[in-house]
Amino acid sequence: MRTLYKNRYLLLSVTGTLAAVFSLGVVTQAQEPPVASEARPQIGPLPSKKAPDPALVAMGQRLFFDTRISGDGGVSCATCHDPQQGFGKQFDADGQIKRLSDAYPGTRYFRNAPTLINVRYKEDFADTGWGWDGRMGANLNDVMRDQLTESTIMNMDMRIMHERMKQDPVYVEMCKENFDSDCSSGMARRALVAFVETLVSTNAPFDGGKLSGSARRGQNLFQGKARCIECHNGPYFSDGVPHNTGVPEDLEIFRDPLRHLTYRAVIHTHGVPKMEIWRRDVGYFLVSKNYADVGKFVTPTLRELKSTAPYMHNGLFTTLTEVVDFYDQGGGQEDPLATELSPLGLSRKEKADLVAFLESLSSASPIVVEKVAIPLEYEPIDNWLHVEN
Amino acid sequence: MKAHNESQAFLMLLILLCVNLMMVGGPTFADGDPDIDPPLAPLGPVPEPPDNRITAEKAELGKMLYFDPKLTGDAGLACSDCHDPEQGWGFNDPICRGYPGAVHWRNCHTVVNVGYMDKMFWTGSSKSMEAQARGAATGGISGNGEKDVMEQRLRQTPYYIEKFREVFGTERPILNDAWLAIATFERAMLSQTDTPLDRYLKGDKTALSEKAIQGMELFNGKANCIECHNGPMLSDQKYYNLGVPRPIEWEETGINTITYRFELYAKGVPEKYYREFKDDPGLYFDTKRWSDLGKFRTQPLSYLAYTPPYMHAGQFFTLEEVIDFYNEGGGENEMTERAGSKTPILKPLNLTDEEKEALVVFLEEISGDEITMSPPEVPPYAVMPDVADLTQSEAKRIGLEIYLTTATE
Repeated sequence: MRTLYKNRYLLLSVTGTLAAVFSLGVVTQAQEPPVASEARPQIGPLPSKKAPDPALVAMGQRLFFDTRISGDGGVSCATCHDPQQGFGKQFDADGQIKRLSDAYPGTRYFRNAPTLINVRYKEDFADTGWGWDGRMGANLNDVMRDQLTESTIMNMDMRIMHERMKQDPVYVEMCKENFDSDCSSGMARRALVAFVETLVSTNAPFDGGKLSGSARRGQNLFQGKARCIECHNGPYFSDGVPHNTGVPEDLEIFRDPLRHLTYRAVIHTHGVPKMEIWRRDVGYFLVSKNYADVGKFVTPTLRELKSTAPYMHNGLFTTLTEVVDFYDQGGGQEDPLATELSPLGLSRKEKADLVAFLESLSSASPIVVEKVAIPLEYEPIDNWLHVEN
Repeated sequence: MKAHNESQAFLMLLILLCVNLMMVGGPTFADGDPDIDPPLAPLGPVPEPPDNRITAEKAELGKMLYFDPKLTGDAGLACSDCHDPEQGWGFNDPICRGYPGAVHWRNCHTVVNVGYMDKMFWTGSSKSMEAQARGAATGGISGNGEKDVMEQRLRQTPYYIEKFREVFGTERPILNDAWLAIATFERAMLSQTDTPLDRYLKGDKTALSEKAIQGMELFNGKANCIECHNGPMLSDQKYYNLGVPRPIEWEETGINTITYRFELYAKGVPEKYYREFKDDPGLYFDTKRWSDLGKFRTQPLSYLAYTPPYMHAGQFFTLEEVIDFYNEGGGENEMTERAGSKTPILKPLNLTDEEKEALVVFLEEISGDEITMSPPEVPPYAVMPDVADLTQSEAKRIGLEIYLTTATE
């Protein structure tokens, strides 16, 4: 853990290693007064990054909506990262709040589906992987591989995937255009990365300096009294490392046999000891196997909160007001390992100001992506006997 | 010196073997015969591997697992979906169905009497029934199951927790034991030991009709089926290229083309041949020997009446078509042309219509009675017993007892 903090600050802190070590002390010993926000990466507009190639994006966009890149053709990326729902999932088919994500058919997931908007900025936090527990990948391309092949997510044999692409004239054309070659799973991954890289916030009031009075006061609280900045810092509003805030367990994970067995399968695959015993989400412990990390989750971005409810790794809070109330109380009270937070003593007006600021981090209008229609059947190949496979 | 001793010992063994064979007088060399053809014989009791003994309890557990879709990727299909009791414990499409979203690439074998075979699948690529069960459950176009997920499904099912404990003595189900149980079910409940052929060969001369006996004589003589279809299983378990025609599905149906190319790719065929091949390379997949192109294992002939269509990709729908094919001396296909691998055993047979009919009657009669079984109701998942009364505070502490004690000291 210590090196994680250190690397992070060495990379991004403007004040150097000394300040970094000092700030580490603050995070772990809640009694000390908060340090000036200069000690952490400044919040601000997202730096602009190189736009991916449009032809590659088009290929990635088609793959994103294509259920044929999952094992049984039952789910696409868009099933859980729904473009209509902030590239995560807010509601189920009945319009009920969807706290926990779906998963590959025959399994059911135990965490909230995180948004994909701005996810390319996580690449700046190379010392923790993707996902709530930081278990996935060193870069987005790796994450795509993990998502496609994990048995509880897409469960796809990538050799079958590239053969399916080779049977679809549209992909054949796209692979030729982008890679001058016939299709491979590596090309699919690169195209998916290119598509996801286009999902970036636009015209958020905060980025344009168009904050209301309430939001402006909220920003001061964010960086001061409410101490959000200690973890939600930098343009992505995340320090990229795991923390335990004591969010209550959603016991539904254990009351639903399908979720429980999915949870065990995932932690077992990653070598978590006492797989049968846990009745909580072990979080970053899955990666580190250090008991002090049980219940830690990687700080999520705060951008696009307006379209990405419910909140927290298990979607336990439906509104930002609930989230702010939770932090105001000093986080969860039941978790003996959650020691980082302490009560904030915010007034009702201050809490409203904080929510106003948080809402100013969302794009002025939602990011819209056109759904791509995918054929249900594979066509035979013309003159198959006389062309190369 | 040592090598010399060994070769001497080998020679002695060979002589003993020959003497032995002459004494029992069973195996005969047919006209132009390249090898020994053991005569048709009763099946006898099914072989029992020393590391997976047959018990009634294990077979009963295996039966449940056989019909339970939990042992696949999306818990959507069971062994019985491709090896269906109502389709001869196989699948009556030319090419077997596959995992949802995919299709298989060869005809589905019946499970009846596989306990007598040394190896499984069309080219013997699976070395045991236990390995076959695992391979079918995990292969991308068949079960597409992943070990950890399948194992946890068993562990979420009270019936399996109890039964695995009784049968294997483990606290919780271990996935590998599931394959042992399924193989035991197949050995114990899907082996025929009393077919009309068994009875006939044991001395009951009324067990076969006159027509069938005539067919058997042709089988052993003029039609020369015995050359490969010999011994108790009516299979020498060797590999031949008969020149069976290319299945049309690969060129006519996109989803079949996908699976065909996937097999070429996944089985490590050199890129040149991945690009060029349009037919099944057969045993070449396993050996990568050019001379094995297009070879498939001699199919056992028991239970044949219930398991059309025939050949490795169901190219023939009826036994009449099969016999016509042999009567013409087999065929030619891409692999016989590429490698000259067609077996010299096949020659035109000049069978009359009556003779062909007798052969069909023989093959149908020796299939015996159909093994019927209604699928059991598969056991449901359940919540772990401790979860109902679990409090938030307990949930946060379970698993951390020792850590919390030592951390506060």
